[in-house]
Amino acid sequence: MTRARDRRQRDILHNGVETDRRLLDRPRYSEGFRGTVALLPGAAGVSWPGCASGAIRREGGKVTVDLGRCLMCGRCQEAAPEAFAIESGWTRPARRRGDLVTVQGGDVPVASAQDAGALLLEKVGRVLGRSLAIREVDAGSCNGCEVEISALSNPVYDVERFGVRFVASPRHADVLLVTGVGATNLEDALRRTYDATPHPKVVVAVGACACSGGIFGETYASAGGVAGIVPVDVYVPGCPPRPEAVLYGILLAVDRVAPQKTS
Amino acid sequence: MTAPAVRLERLRGELAGRASSVSVKHGNEAHVEAELLDLPAICERVRDSCGGRLAMVACSDERRTKGRYVLRYVFDMVGVDLFVVLSAGVDPAEPSFPSIASLFPAATRYEREVRDMFGLVAAGSPDPRPMVLHDRWPDGAHPLRKDFAIGTRPGGTDARGYEFMEVAGDGVSEIPVGPVHAGVIEPGHFRFSVLGESIVNLETRLFYAHRGVEKLAEGMTLDQALLLSERISGDEAVANSTAFCQAIERAAGAEAPRRATETRAICAELERIYNHIGTLAGLTLDAGFAYGASRLLLLKERVMSLNEDFTGSRLLFGVNRLGGVGVDALLVAGEVSETVSAVLEDFRKVVEAIRDESSVIDRLSGTGTIAPGLAFELGLQGIVARSSGVDVDTRRDHPYGAYGLLRVDKHHDTRRQATEFGVKLAKARGDVLARFDSRVDEVEGSAEIIDQLLVKMGGDGTLTVPVAGEMLEPFASALGYAESHRGRTLHWVVIGDDRDSLLRYKVRTASFANWPAIEVAVLNDIVADFPLINKSLDLSYAANDL
Repeated sequence: MTRARDRRQRDILHNGVETDRRLLDRPRYSEGFRGTVALLPGAAGVSWPGCASGAIRREGGKVTVDLGRCLMCGRCQEAAPEAFAIESGWTRPARRRGDLVTVQGGDVPVASAQDAGALLLEKVGRVLGRSLAIREVDAGSCNGCEVEISALSNPVYDVERFGVRFVASPRHADVLLVTGVGATNLEDALRRTYDATPHPKVVVAVGACACSGGIFGETYASAGGVAGIVPVDVYVPGCPPRPEAVLYGILLAVDRVAPQKTS
Repeated sequence: MTAPAVRLERLRGELAGRASSVSVKHGNEAHVEAELLDLPAICERVRDSCGGRLAMVACSDERRTKGRYVLRYVFDMVGVDLFVVLSAGVDPAEPSFPSIASLFPAATRYEREVRDMFGLVAAGSPDPRPMVLHDRWPDGAHPLRKDFAIGTRPGGTDARGYEFMEVAGDGVSEIPVGPVHAGVIEPGHFRFSVLGESIVNLETRLFYAHRGVEKLAEGMTLDQALLLSERISGDEAVANSTAFCQAIERAAGAEAPRRATETRAICAELERIYNHIGTLAGLTLDAGFAYGASRLLLLKERVMSLNEDFTGSRLLFGVNRLGGVGVDALLVAGEVSETVSAVLEDFRKVVEAIRDESSVIDRLSGTGTIAPGLAFELGLQGIVARSSGVDVDTRRDHPYGAYGLLRVDKHHDTRRQATEFGVKLAKARGDVLARFDSRVDEVEGSAEIIDQLLVKMGGDGTLTVPVAGEMLEPFASALGYAESHRGRTLHWVVIGDDRDSLLRYKVRTASFANWPAIEVAVLNDIVADFPLINKSLDLSYAANDL
């Protein structure tokens, strides 16, 4: 019950530093956290059409799991434990949408335990002069991703220590953090927000909905992900992604930004 | 006779000769059929003589089976555990029905919804503008009609525009805000008309986050629809999925095992705690007390991390299953109890520190007032209603699951406590401070409920009962409901031909009921207080927009 003890602090009003200094380095998730799906050898003979978001498919004789669609509900593991295993490590965000699709026999893209927080700090410092401005846009999410993005600003994650801050206008933003399915009713507003953002206009799609439409798919009300409306640079899977995963996505996005010319 | 039976008798008397006989389903649903044109008169009787409050209007396309659309008006009988479901058919050849907005102001939004989604027009409606479907939507396409294919992308390029109410006069100006907001929040448009700093009118335009939940559910299996219900509003996953599961269970005549109902209630109260703490943090921050807010956010983080240890999800996704639950609260009882009491202890300290800051309390006091009478008229729900002195709480009024065996609030107990509660409710002034105080009380209340549940926890350890196949008759229908941290979420399901699908899934969340509150709460306040008022109401856009 270490985690339970972690939560019991001495005195809430005078308790010193609560910030997790090794945020991406040391796992914060619990053992039971549903973070990713691994394909087991037994998947070869399995056909399971029941996936609510259509993340599991069979293509060319091979089973694939699209982690950019996956809700991490665990139904596949219950239906076919010989084929699918829910694991607690969170799925690594990716620059290419295709990298979120695992093929039977391939690697599961779990975030590696590197000191990514420090790396981000260094990158933001080098590339952006220690200031990365983010505008969050909800393009039709359930608000779950917003809860986790908001958590980034709490004292535990304290994203501002990396030079990352949320700004009130797209005109001040380097990065757009977009959640939701790409709702039909928000299409115009999202496009105009994108247009109002100065270059380099980096877009990070956060959550299964933003990556693919998630459980909502592509319908009269949904573009099936924000890439249907604006170009996306980084995909952060999860339903919703953990705050660490969102931070990791931002880290990848910074790589897309050309280094500043130093005078 | 019990109180619901007395009320039912009165209803039968009032409706004799005006409508079909009353049939009772699932213990507390009284179903009545009426002629379309008699609706307003009957609704008025249900309201005035039987104490009915409009809870929901659900339309469904039953052209295939009955050759018509059917409108169902669901009334909550104030003070007793009874819902009245009044239904009337609409002929597809005459797609119109009489508006009841003059009787129930809340009806306006349902009528606009029915018009957009089914193409049925409410004759005499005070507000015939489109609501769910926005500018580029073509005329004549109505998503919840059965012949509308879900994949149809709106092809319209012409913006048909939207007329906001215009306030004219010397010195009046307009401030448009959104749909993309300045904070990390959901999308919605606010059109303020201001005179100097004072707000003289506010109009909200929502549904930017419309994802087609109800239409999607019609193509899903019941278990998939359960996953969908968790994602109606991410921070209300337990409440909405509980309401959905209970609706299906009622339709099947099944009852979730005791351990399951207890686990559901514990998770629902954890959901209430982490969300209320988050809202209190937001209020504290908006009032300029960053330190108090950061302390509360730490506590919220602790509860979310407990959620994850318990259920594998920080937002409590995956708790519910059809017929029960997927997690067992007994296995983590010690950790839940330990964390909740530690959080509560710290919470009290932080709240005391916040209440000591007169600069915070002064901002909250007298701001964003919703008068009690208005809260009742508008059909407001949950904490917003209670903070304006309207005594409603689904957990007590329509006890479901484990709540039937619990003391949810103190006025269930002795006469003296009932009086205390009455006095407290009467003092609820309906301002931001009242809503702040109510949330603090509810965090305490939820912790107490969790305590009671953990002590009593019993049952034989069964987590689910089967709810499938023969148990579910095609066309069987039922209401399901739960009290989220925002108020009652009310769901209605109709089982499909194959017994594992839905012909109709109607969701009415507390947010849908409460959104009109913001337009009245801000009147005569200043623009700078808007964020505070908005936060105090804690309305979900996603849950409203579906």
